[in-house]
Amino acid sequence: MNPSLILGVQRGESGYNKPVNRLVGIETEYGLYVEGRSVSDQVMDAVAFLRSCPFPAVKHWDYRLEDPRRDMRGFRVDHLTVDPNDAQIEREHPVSLSEREVRSDHVLPNGARFYNDHAHPEYATPECRRLLDLIAYDKAGERIVQACAEAFANRTRYAVRLYKNNTDLHGSSYGCHESYLLQREVSFDLLAMTMVPFLTTRLLYAGAGKAGVEVNPHPRVPYQISQRADFYMDIMNVETLYRRPIFNTRDEPHAKMRHYRRLHVICGDANMSEYATALKVGTTALVLDLLEDGWYNTTVLRDPVRIAQSLSRDPDGKWLVDTDTGVVSAIDIQRQYLHEAQKRFVGRDAETDWLLNEWQTVLDTLETEPEQLADRLDWVAKRQLLNLYVESEGLSWDDPVIQALDLAYHHIDPAEGLYYALVEQAQMQTLVSENAIAVAMEQPPQDTRACIRGLCVQRFASQVETLNWERIILRNDDQTVRLDLSRLVEGDLRPLCLRLTEAPDLTTFVKLIQEATR
Amino acid sequence: MIWQAEERLRRPIPQDPVTRPGGDGDGPNKPDVKRPDTNELLKRMRRIDPEQARRYRQRSGE
Repeated sequence: MNPSLILGVQRGESGYNKPVNRLVGIETEYGLYVEGRSVSDQVMDAVAFLRSCPFPAVKHWDYRLEDPRRDMRGFRVDHLTVDPNDAQIEREHPVSLSEREVRSDHVLPNGARFYNDHAHPEYATPECRRLLDLIAYDKAGERIVQACAEAFANRTRYAVRLYKNNTDLHGSSYGCHESYLLQREVSFDLLAMTMVPFLTTRLLYAGAGKAGVEVNPHPRVPYQISQRADFYMDIMNVETLYRRPIFNTRDEPHAKMRHYRRLHVICGDANMSEYATALKVGTTALVLDLLEDGWYNTTVLRDPVRIAQSLSRDPDGKWLVDTDTGVVSAIDIQRQYLHEAQKRFVGRDAETDWLLNEWQTVLDTLETEPEQLADRLDWVAKRQLLNLYVESEGLSWDDPVIQALDLAYHHIDPAEGLYYALVEQAQMQTLVSENAIAVAMEQPPQDTRACIRGLCVQRFASQVETLNWERIILRNDDQTVRLDLSRLVEGDLRPLCLRLTEAPDLTTFVKLIQEATR
Repeated sequence: MIWQAEERLRRPIPQDPVTRPGGDGDGPNKPDVKRPDTNELLKRMRRIDPEQARRYRQRSGE
């Protein structure tokens, strides 16, 4: 494969599509089921799973710049709260490996990170600047994880299934997080005021759907819109493992702290649908564009956690929510953001226009005939599937098979998963081709700093000492070379990446990057 | 070489004004989503182990 292949239409510099207008990424923790093994084996199973990875990788992740306890509100917490059930399993079944062995870090040739996060194989896409690149890299993650599953099964003889979802349906949740780089000059207060109502109501199109209720199951509902809403406990905090918030306040930009923030969204569901992922990430990025453009939201939701849970548990409802100015429709809350974005960004580029049109169409259709979105939104598609089975087999929604089918929707094996059964029948709209996904499995995005990381893995793996999102440390002729990528977060890096691809040796490669970051 | 990818958007970017769903008639229109081959879907669904969700337990993650 030519390393300078790049996903997407090129229109020359002036027509470069940039609908997300910033670095974005998705990190997905996959559910790991190994036949015949129990939850107490899951850490060791996840380690064995990562060790089965058949792809070349650099395995020296640099943790020294990480600071997950730093809060955007200007303080650092002493520790992050752990789920009490999980803590009990850890006490009863201690693991004798070092933390580094447990993590089993891999940095892949496409610039992605792949490792074991709390007993879940986690794939974090490389940084992308364009929406459809992100979709391709997210789907590439599914293919990579599935390839590992096949290698693991061949090596261990255990049958294994991987689920791209957020819950075991018994009260344990795991995340699909989104990252968005934004200018630090957007104040924390305006960011929080604007994002909380948006994220609370976004689940109406970003939810992946779930059979049943796991936390505070009153009222009991057979089916809800979101997988994750049951687990929200706070409006905002820095936690991720327990007391999960709608708005995560972790202050870890993975770029120059003086200039940037990273919005770390942890309240979202893992989407199988490419369209739902695109809408979820694209609209969120547009809201950040609004903030950077000087607009902010002033509508205040009364009790957003309760609102999110009641929206989720009422898929056929009118979705009315309490605000400081009275009761309004959650769809109209979304429309406030949409209308501002239309006013400011329509005509910016083809993908922004596509996004604005789709956002409007989805909100209108949710209001009138949500079932028409079964080819685009996960929660609608899954509900139709489950309903088909209930009617065909004469079952009730309480039958245990319904949750088994829910789980099967998220099974990433295209030969087995129910989402992929719909794709096979052309019942789900897809945005990227298998060819684009295959390229994304092997090559990094050419317009972001991920290109540098990916090329280091491809060309200079034995000389990489450590690396992370914003720094690479190499050995070159007995000298230690530090490549600071923390400034390389804006602009189109395609010209630099092209020169790096053609660099004849590491010395030239390093020189080019040092010139670019000077 | 820059790849002029034909699959930038497999679903064409809408060029026309978006039509509001539901139409202008007296009642909601019939959904125009194509009906899937339900036999094939049901066949795959019947292959699912009904006990799979009961057995599926995970450590809590992030």
